[in-house]
Amino acid sequence: MTKMLEINKLYTSYGRIPMLMDISMDIDEGEVCCVLGANGAGKTTLVKAILNMVKADSGGMKLAGEPIDDWPTHKRIEQGISLSAAAVGTFQKMSVETNLKMGAFFIDDAKLLSERLEEIYRSFPVLRERLQQKAGTLSGGERTMLAIARSVINKPRLLILDEPSLGLAPIMVEEVFEIIKRLRDEKMTILLVEQNAAKALNVATRGYVIQKGAIVFSGDAEQLRGSEFVENPVM
Amino acid sequence: MSGGANKMAKEKKLPLENLLVIAANIIMFAIVYFMLSASEMVSLIIIAAVIVGLLLADKQGYINWLFALFIRHKKVAFISAMLCIIALPLLLATERYIAHIACMAVIYAMVCLGLNFQMGSTDMVNFAPAAFMGIGAYTMAVFTVNMGVSPWLGFLSAIVFSCIAGILIGLPTLRTKGYYLSLVTMALQLAFTQLIKNIPYLGGPNGISGVKSLNIGEFFFYKSYTVFGVKLAPQIPLLFLCLFILVLMVYIAMRVYVSRWGLSLNNIAQDEVAADCLGVNCNRQKLFAFVIGSIFCGIGGALYGGLASFVGPTDFTFARSLIFICMVILGGMDNPIGTVVGALLLTVIMEKVRSFADYGQIIYAVILVTVLIVRPAGLVPKRVRDYCSLFKGKLQRSGKKNEAAAKTE
Repeated sequence: MTKMLEINKLYTSYGRIPMLMDISMDIDEGEVCCVLGANGAGKTTLVKAILNMVKADSGGMKLAGEPIDDWPTHKRIEQGISLSAAAVGTFQKMSVETNLKMGAFFIDDAKLLSERLEEIYRSFPVLRERLQQKAGTLSGGERTMLAIARSVINKPRLLILDEPSLGLAPIMVEEVFEIIKRLRDEKMTILLVEQNAAKALNVATRGYVIQKGAIVFSGDAEQLRGSEFVENPVM
Repeated sequence: MSGGANKMAKEKKLPLENLLVIAANIIMFAIVYFMLSASEMVSLIIIAAVIVGLLLADKQGYINWLFALFIRHKKVAFISAMLCIIALPLLLATERYIAHIACMAVIYAMVCLGLNFQMGSTDMVNFAPAAFMGIGAYTMAVFTVNMGVSPWLGFLSAIVFSCIAGILIGLPTLRTKGYYLSLVTMALQLAFTQLIKNIPYLGGPNGISGVKSLNIGEFFFYKSYTVFGVKLAPQIPLLFLCLFILVLMVYIAMRVYVSRWGLSLNNIAQDEVAADCLGVNCNRQKLFAFVIGSIFCGIGGALYGGLASFVGPTDFTFARSLIFICMVILGGMDNPIGTVVGALLLTVIMEKVRSFADYGQIIYAVILVTVLIVRPAGLVPKRVRDYCSLFKGKLQRSGKKNEAAAKTE
């Protein structure tokens, strides 16, 4: 099993306040790895550090064995890291179709693009009905679907989902996790960052628990489910 | 294929609509012509009538209908508009003052097109278009007067210098966003005027006079020629040159708009974080918008120097920058055609209210406010953004190729 992403002793800080301390983790190809933690534990900072939107103070990162520390954000995305997050909005004043195509910004081949779009419409039938609508008029659930669809259209080597269930109705949360399961069955490598531990552990094979910027526990889904860090809701 | 055939059939079915588009173009240009050439009172009455007409027409929904018509018959509208554009300088042939205003309007339209890249497409409100125009104009002046070289060299170096200035000023300012960016550009504009005033080499507050205009061999772009026994105003050849450059710039602006770069500019305007997360190189794209904008402004400035044959600090003040911003907002942001329309209208109005002295400002303001009430998003508003249509054409073509391949098989 090759390692898709390796993080080695990562430290970041906002000004003088340290955010992440000594984070070391790795994600195997084709697995769903989850990162659990309470508000303010540093989950989103970790995601931002992986995309170089927050500069790392020290530490190394490798994508499929290749060091990526010097790559700017756009190059990391071009090389196959994709992010879908609540904080990353859709382009509200553009049509759903344009939004989807923006996810495939680096695909130059028109034929390939139309094939990928067809695939997306098959897996997200809701979006096909809304193609010409402006993204701002979609419901919250549809917008999350759009954001996920936009991030997988490029067939990324590593898909990062940052709190996909945030602010959604329970029925929509179910649907989002169904999609994540489907992506897992398609052998996509996923880093799932969640607060909803029970739901995340249903789809993940392995996971890490972050507390106050440091990894306090790691193991496979079974071990995590039994650990005190997940059972204790306050964490 | 079938789409094209349908379109053909439609056009054949509705020659009336085509005629309407041509008639509308001719009427518009006639209004522009009379606005330009009539005396102040008459032209203000025309402007007032146009505004009242616009108000009434907008209530009845005629304006939107007319715009839809223009969009449906793009080709006819474009060709008839081009013919009118060529006819306009010929009609103004003997009127010196009016040809001068027309030239100014066209040059301002260039600057507004440049500003539109920053303000309209990328949502970076740059308060210093006049400063960038000034860089172009002063480069032209220094090269032709102080150094005495060919105006073409001056023109080219105006492009180069405004480009360099765009990069040098853009790199540090683009680290700021939103209001802060506006503040930085505002400071830049004020500093530019002060700087020019205090450099003796650039003429200080007196400016530089005797700036040469472009020429090809013995043919000067700013000179009175007699054609068929009619003595032309000296600005006419320059007006043709300016119109030619303006059409070229509109073409460039439209190509940028439909390209992937234009798309990424719009993305940055709407949601910079999302654009970043989808792999858009935000810094490079913003710098591109800044530099291409300042090049357009610089070209406008160089032509302005040749037209006025004088450049001074008072031509490139903060007030002038505000007027450019007004033009872009009034015409319609993120739409090259709208920007040009806004620039032409406001320049003419500004010149015509000049004879009312202080009351001119009131008339000017009333006109501005009225237009913005009638069409809040500008005269020719922004369209809903589509994915780059350049790419769409490619898509259709490859689709056709596939069809053809399937047939031969």
